[in-house]
Amino acid sequence: MSIILGKDDLAKYPFLEEAGTYVRESHFDLDDFNRSEFLHIIERASKRIEFALIQGKVFMDLEKYDIELFTFLVSLIMMKYIYEDSAIKKFSLFEAIRVERFLISDLLKEKDLRKKNLLISRIFRELFQLDVDLDTKKNNLFKMNISNYLDRATQFNEIEWKLINRAVDNGYVYLDVDETVRLIRYEIYKLMYNKIKNMNITKIPEQIRFHATLIKNKLIPTIKYTKNTTDLPPCIKKALEFLNKSENLPHSARFMLATYMLSLGKSIDEVVSLFQNAPDFNEKITRYQVEHLAGKKGSQTKYSVPACSKLVNENLCYATIDCKGITNPIQFGRNRK
Amino acid sequence: MKKEINTKNKDFLTTLFKEYYFKNLGLLNPPIQMPNREFGFMTFDGKVIRHLSFSKLGSLKAYIIQNVPSDIFCSNAYYQFPTFPINEKGWKGADMIFDIDLNDLLLSCQKEHTFYICSNCNVVSRDYINQCYKCHNTTILKNTIPCFRCITSLKKETKNLIEFLKKDFGIQEKNLEVSFSGNTGFHVVVCQDNYMLLDSKSRSDVAGYLMGRNLTPESFGVRNDKGGYRIKIPLSGFSYGWRKRIVQRMKIPVSSDHLNKFIKKIGGYPSFKNEIDKIASEIGVKIDPQVTTDIHRIFRMVGSLNGKSGLSKTICYDLDKFDPMTDSCFFENDKSVDISINIPLKFHIKGKKYVLDKSISSVPVSVAVFLISKRLANVANYSS
Ligand code: SF4
Ligand SMILES: [Zn+2]
Ligand SMILES: [Zn+2]
Repeated sequence: MSIILGKDDLAKYPFLEEAGTYVRESHFDLDDFNRSEFLHIIERASKRIEFALIQGKVFMDLEKYDIELFTFLVSLIMMKYIYEDSAIKKFSLFEAIRVERFLISDLLKEKDLRKKNLLISRIFRELFQLDVDLDTKKNNLFKMNISNYLDRATQFNEIEWKLINRAVDNGYVYLDVDETVRLIRYEIYKLMYNKIKNMNITKIPEQIRFHATLIKNKLIPTIKYTKNTTDLPPCIKKALEFLNKSENLPHSARFMLATYMLSLGKSIDEVVSLFQNAPDFNEKITRYQVEHLAGKKGSQTKYSVPACSKLVNENLCYATIDCKGITNPIQFGRNRK
Repeated sequence: MKKEINTKNKDFLTTLFKEYYFKNLGLLNPPIQMPNREFGFMTFDGKVIRHLSFSKLGSLKAYIIQNVPSDIFCSNAYYQFPTFPINEKGWKGADMIFDIDLNDLLLSCQKEHTFYICSNCNVVSRDYINQCYKCHNTTILKNTIPCFRCITSLKKETKNLIEFLKKDFGIQEKNLEVSFSGNTGFHVVVCQDNYMLLDSKSRSDVAGYLMGRNLTPESFGVRNDKGGYRIKIPLSGFSYGWRKRIVQRMKIPVSSDHLNKFIKKIGGYPSFKNEIDKIASEIGVKIDPQVTTDIHRIFRMVGSLNGKSGLSKTICYDLDKFDPMTDSCFFENDKSVDISINIPLKFHIKGKKYVLDKSISSVPVSVAVFLISKRLANVANYSS
């Protein structure tokens, strides 16, 4: 008996080939989206996007597979219409995290070993060319060869991803479910991003355009510090670069960045919005933390920017010649005309 | 490093290197995928010539006999166009390479056999100098004649590396090539498919792994928690790789309770971290990370002579029995040359002990090549 992925699986992983086949075989036309039966799907797609772009939350609702497949499709079309690259990036990240969560829970819960292996093979092997095996003799850990691991893990900056902090044996790295799935976050992200970017639609249905425009108008224009970055100290510039690439920043770096921006007199809103691109951005938590640093919450003390010596210790310093003679990033550029 | 050498010495070495390559061409093995490798040479005048390619062993040998370089290198990388500039070569992968050198071992015996030599007038000092006291030249070469202890330590370190490579990285014996560098170290080359395509960043991570850098308490499930600590042993346990090595060394049975007792006893999270760092740097392999990280390196070729010693880079089939000063020395013992030495010296070559004082001595050709390459002697009289 061969085993296949069920429709419930497609609802969670709508980027799999079978999902596309299903949509194609349902003989439906883009113009159908203008019909009123589809309105709830479009509204659902709007909500999914707003969750990511405005509230900074992962949309974890799960409906019947046909609703999910169409919602997914509509949200991609809407993002195509919204067009702005930073928004597409952000949406792709939240979609990646959504997939990540489903995948982790499926891999943890699934009792049927064949089903589990199928999921691994479809997603890891076929989609991302990552050879992962379940090692039932070793605590059900996932194993992959060292080079496959390194190709992905070297993108992360956290020390925990260094090979030395992993269980390594005989050419393989052993990871638990969370770690294994985390390793492909960037690839899922890229998959989503490319899906939107490469989508070729000649005429976007009116009803979709309307809802997409509503969202577009709600987007706060993101504050970009790209213009005057020459005035920023290298450590701050580097942290902003990471954020722009939507890479994760260690807490020490977030602390540095937030205290620095506050010391420049930026508002809480401005500082919060800086972190919008962080893969795990949560507006509420970020706002609370920034207010705390600004002395508006808790102990009421304003936190100062950490000294260069501390940043050096935390591996956050990227000193250049312009850093000569300063002991705190806030002194950067003060002596220049 | 600038490396001028006086004409008499240069002529002497050129003649003998040429003779070596005539007689021992068989020792030069063609590297795997030879047409895709970049070759490089160093001349006796210290010039480096790179970006050459030889599709067949025959043409490489002809080049060597004709030009007699002091050193011969071959890239660890495979290229589509080996002769093009680095960025246009079309990189197709590279062997993983490791260099274990006396410089990184920091042995206490170094002082007894290290010399500082003026590159201009060959004045030799046993003490560190940064300027020649005779001609005031500031280019000072540092040379060492490895003693028995040095060689033993290098071998021990090399074995340590091999163990890591086999056990942790799953490298098969047949894909490992271990050789004496010809001067003061050993080279290990890994030619195994699954590691060929690693980029520089990944190789740097591999180097860090081998050296024992950045191992964290968190990897053992020990977390810093508001001045104290929490323990949650990871699912992957302590039975592999570094965790296993460290836990064995600390002699802790694997359980939260034992680990907790141990950490408490030594003074909490920070002390635990220090302890890990200490053990890791002891057990870690002392490789030169720059070599391993370089995916475009030209690396000394097996079977070629090392211009800094006149010894040949030689494969070690049996590391324990390998004696560099005998097994890598291919020059004659029965012909003599008069040399003037610049400083009193004691050393072994081909199983014979030499004690030379500061004057002209008549020594076998093998000894002369060695000392002249090391810049510790000059040719006084030689007719071939
Ligand atoms: S020296 Fe100070 S200001 Fe300059 S990069 Fe380092 S931490 Fe930042
Ligand atoms: Zn001098
Ligand atoms: Zn020694």
